[in-house]
Amino acid sequence: MKRSGFLLGALSGLAVVANTETIFSQALAQAPLPGLPGSSDRVLVVINFQGGNDGLNTVVPFGMQDYYRYRPSIGIAPNDVLRIDDTVGLNPVLAPFKKLYDGGSVAIVQGVGYPDPDHSHFRSTEIWQTAQPKGYESTGWLGRYLDEAQLPKQNLFNAVAISNVLPEALISKTTDVPAVDALRGYGLQSDKRSGNREAFHEFVSDKTVPFRSPFLAQVAEIEDHAQRGAEELPKLVAGYKQQATYPATPLGRSLALAAQIVGSKLGTRVLYVQHGSFDTHVTQKATQDRLLADFANAISAFYQDLAAHGNDKRVLTMTFSEFGRRVPENASRGTDHGEAAPVFLIGGGVKGGLYGQHPDLNRLNAGNLAFTTDFRQVYATVLERWLGRPSAAIVGGTFSPLTALT
Amino acid sequence: MRYHRIVAAQTTAPISYRPAGAFDAPAALLPYAGPWNRRLAAHLLRRAGFGGSPADVDRFASMSASAAVDALIRFPDTSALPARPQLEDPPVPPAGLYRGLMRQNAQGVAPGMAADQTTTDARRAFAMARNQNRRRNLIAMQQWWLGRMIATPAPLQEKMTLLWHGHFTSSPEKGTTAQELLMQNQLFREYALGNVRDLTLHVSQDPAMLRYLDNNVNVQAHPNENYARELMELFTLGIGNYTEQDIRESARAFTGWTFRRNPDGTGSFVDNRRQHDDGSKTFLGQTGNFNGADIVDIIFRQPAAPRWFAKKLLSFFVYMDPEPQLVDQVAALIRKNDFEMKPVLSALLRSNVFFSDRAYRALVKSPVEFVVGTHQLFGISEVAPVELATLRAMGQVLFYPPNVKGWDGGAAWVNSATILTRENFANAVAQNPKMTQAASWIAPAMRSMDPHGVAKTLTDTMLQGDVSPASVAQLVAYLGGRGQAELSQLSPENVDERVRNAAYLTMAMPAYQLA
Repeated sequence: MKRSGFLLGALSGLAVVANTETIFSQALAQAPLPGLPGSSDRVLVVINFQGGNDGLNTVVPFGMQDYYRYRPSIGIAPNDVLRIDDTVGLNPVLAPFKKLYDGGSVAIVQGVGYPDPDHSHFRSTEIWQTAQPKGYESTGWLGRYLDEAQLPKQNLFNAVAISNVLPEALISKTTDVPAVDALRGYGLQSDKRSGNREAFHEFVSDKTVPFRSPFLAQVAEIEDHAQRGAEELPKLVAGYKQQATYPATPLGRSLALAAQIVGSKLGTRVLYVQHGSFDTHVTQKATQDRLLADFANAISAFYQDLAAHGNDKRVLTMTFSEFGRRVPENASRGTDHGEAAPVFLIGGGVKGGLYGQHPDLNRLNAGNLAFTTDFRQVYATVLERWLGRPSAAIVGGTFSPLTALT
Repeated sequence: MRYHRIVAAQTTAPISYRPAGAFDAPAALLPYAGPWNRRLAAHLLRRAGFGGSPADVDRFASMSASAAVDALIRFPDTSALPARPQLEDPPVPPAGLYRGLMRQNAQGVAPGMAADQTTTDARRAFAMARNQNRRRNLIAMQQWWLGRMIATPAPLQEKMTLLWHGHFTSSPEKGTTAQELLMQNQLFREYALGNVRDLTLHVSQDPAMLRYLDNNVNVQAHPNENYARELMELFTLGIGNYTEQDIRESARAFTGWTFRRNPDGTGSFVDNRRQHDDGSKTFLGQTGNFNGADIVDIIFRQPAAPRWFAKKLLSFFVYMDPEPQLVDQVAALIRKNDFEMKPVLSALLRSNVFFSDRAYRALVKSPVEFVVGTHQLFGISEVAPVELATLRAMGQVLFYPPNVKGWDGGAAWVNSATILTRENFANAVAQNPKMTQAASWIAPAMRSMDPHGVAKTLTDTMLQGDVSPASVAQLVAYLGGRGQAELSQLSPENVDERVRNAAYLTMAMPAYQLA
């Protein structure tokens, strides 16, 4: 049989591929939610600062004397700080990010955390990802958004993790989220060498096997998604022309790919990007400055690229880290695992400025900053004011949105 | 952050993963007496082991069902396997390090004052050396255990060890040494088919567990409820079978149960009477001056305990979401055998329900089952270090269960990201030019140069024929060259490569993901 015969026979594979454009345009044409004009093409980008970023040397409370008492060697001098007001300012390596702030497109939520903080990277990350500080959830908060938002089921790219594994935040009951580290290297390694696609399509579409299994249909469907997604994504984003110079770093490459996916209008609502590692127990300055400078350059290029394609207003970016760090520096010019830290909201919908209270350096909790804004309040803000969904069921409680988003 | 969790991402997820079709309650646990063949022998080996080699399947198929189960239940001699991995001893702390540390902590480091620099530097250097040492040891342990699963003549022993590892969870997260985790692993192996009440008591005194669930800091003055809570919630009874008051009271009973760390990195249980709360406790309706052993005894007298383990065994060996009626039947069996796992597994693995159509391919292979089974299938004994990273990307790192609940299993194993990793792993195995030598069962079919014969050998051996005619036709077409060069026109190297690729395609069939 000739190749074309197989293609026509492999309906599950081909039919959907042939219809991708229709599906994506349907996704984009989906009716906006009440009260939120245009929310149907909004995108949320989450950047995870992995390893625990030191919030105090990111948003520096230079106006609080205790800061210099606790940070005799790694404190950032008042004259170096990029001032926001008379109390706080940004780390000087964040200069490109400060420009975004001055342009009114950055909201800084101060002192974000949760009750009874856990100091394990592992567990605290899990808490942020599942929005469940007590007990264990099998889905992530973004996954529950995907479950509840009823996005077009046929779209393989409702959410994309720019990562080599799927972060727990995107684990959903109904949506299989692809994890794409980079377009190069994503997908089936065998496809580059041999023409196996027809066979694959046949395997995953053929249900006439001589056994029953409660998992067969699901496994076949996910295999189909994985194979088809890997095959289609590079093609679907191929026409995009990058309009900014990104830093040649993993974060720069990730955000460049994020802009490409947003700009290719695949109906993607959520993108997830990793950055790190910020676990600065020893000689913090070198590591943190490099990572924050990288972040500032990459996010600045990202919004420039988005704006050049008219997408900047469509994209809200939120950063988070599993925890901030201990207030007193340690003897290795580093800091140990701590608690509350700031969260950034950048871009579309943002009403720039400072939000929440900066934690009081006079009222430490065993050397740690006491949180002033619950992280679930930030999530509720993003869900209700940006993605246009009710947040209570997703974050497991009623949290009133901040005014940081219009 | 070294490890990500990969749990569930589902699409058309059913509400329940209980298989369709009628459940025959009266016959469920009676010994299976139906036809016996390679297909069912392979099913038994996938569940009670990791799949086995084609020769293992043939050997089991040549026995009776009952003899095959006996061969698994009576562990053969495993002394030919390396009993333990080569571990490095933990680094020795420099003299005076802890004294300096204690002084520093006692005095506190005032804000603005530099800490005792020498002490802190030494402490950090030591912590780094200790962590690196532990990381190397954990890698050695993972390779050793995977190698043991692949090579063991007693696969059920390793399978039960894996079950207990995911049930009575501990991880290095809280500073547990590799040696302590190895001790725990050996405890699970020793009690693989032993008495689970005794195992629970040993687990309650196991250094890795005492540390992981904080019982080492559970003292009369400051009771810590973590172990008491998880013991009942996740290890033995399940929510709804005890109260918060029972947790508080049993935490008091466990006070003083701690451990001492030995210079070689292992730990030894210590019952510190001075930290033990000797007062009267009321636990699950009984009152007395209980200690941890009493608590374990009382727990195992609750009707919920045998049910909890029945559900665990059924979900791990038979199918997910077992009928309550079936759970009760297995629970009765557990109670009758006073929590001895050997007679329970013996009955379960030879039962009608175990060999029923409803149980067949009704589970998703865990990453460990997928990787170990593939090794056994192709006769690859060596575990390459890269496979540890592969397993991580698939969502399962041995000695690092994701949290105290362990691995969710089932649908949680499969999403686009993990499936791509599984298929790329299969491809890497198939790309190895030595694969067809290691897998000697392929050679005769390959020599025949007959696409139909090769396709049949591959699908029969790798999937017990659990494949549709259309998929076989695809394989035949691929092997036949799809209108290009036929097998007989190729050089031996190219024949070999095409057959290896066809083996890869066979591994890419959905059935290969199912246990």
